[in-house]
Amino acid sequence: MMETLTALENSGFATWLRESGSIWAYPLVLTLHTVGLALLVGGNFALDMRVLGAGQGIEVSALDRLFPVMWWGFAINAISGVLLFCADATTKGTTTLFMFKLACIAAAVVVMVLMRRSIFGRGAGASVTAGAKGLALVSLLLWTAAITAGRFMAY
Amino acid sequence: MMDALVAMLKSTRLSTFMTTSPWAWPICETLHFIGLSMLVGIIGMLDARLLGFLRRVPITALRALLPWGILGFVINLITGVLFFIGAPDQYVNNPAWWFKVLFLAVAGANALLFETTQAAKLFTMGPHDEPPMTFRLMGAVSLFSWFMVLYWGRMLPFIGNAF
Repeated sequence: MMETLTALENSGFATWLRESGSIWAYPLVLTLHTVGLALLVGGNFALDMRVLGAGQGIEVSALDRLFPVMWWGFAINAISGVLLFCADATTKGTTTLFMFKLACIAAAVVVMVLMRRSIFGRGAGASVTAGAKGLALVSLLLWTAAITAGRFMAY
Repeated sequence: MMDALVAMLKSTRLSTFMTTSPWAWPICETLHFIGLSMLVGIIGMLDARLLGFLRRVPITALRALLPWGILGFVINLITGVLFFIGAPDQYVNNPAWWFKVLFLAVAGANALLFETTQAAKLFTMGPHDEPPMTFRLMGAVSLFSWFMVLYWGRMLPFIGNAF
């Protein structure tokens, strides 16, 4: 395991990403990771708040248009996240906080899919169930935990 | 003048607390990223609607979520000011920070202009009407400015070595 992580971190690409000093290397990937976060968590936040009862004038089923935006955010962050992992594999691959962050994200994405099923599978005008509200609350908690873990990894 | 401001801020106890406490900076960073998500989620969705997306939802209905976006902004303004008080020198000497402030001003002026000159149109418009050109333009300016704020914020450590 450790050999794999070391090999990954010492690969030509990971070394370039980490040490080239080019604005197109680490800074660009980190910026993309923040843009993806804004799209993914931002979309989830808007959806969660509506499901929890804010902005009652918004027809919930119209918000299924947020899902492509959130999936784009997820894709950007999965790719940029893998690159950031490569640059720092021996540290991230052995940090509990990083594993916790990944677990939170995985759970939050499952919640996102479950929420889509419970809200959008039932036709326009359907009311929000108590179950969907519970999922929205869990979603807010999981994204907050993921962001907190991600930020604390940097210090 | 800038030097005097930097020296004055750095002599405060709050400044010392921000840079010596092991928790203050990471906690504020975390809140800054949560605020960012709230702001982009709500303001970005409104901007997209001004651009003509999400036409099924009336603009007036979406605006009910605006306070949550503004809350995100307030969280980031407070944590941002705390970063500035903590280490003013690493910001005032950093071109990335000045660009960030510039785009913050553009986004703010744009929002103010929308509220004072355009928002009244919402009363006379139909809920699913084609957005007027001014709506589209201001939605685009807002979206672009906020992503520029994010970009220049992210560049702070790389262009001017801020932590």
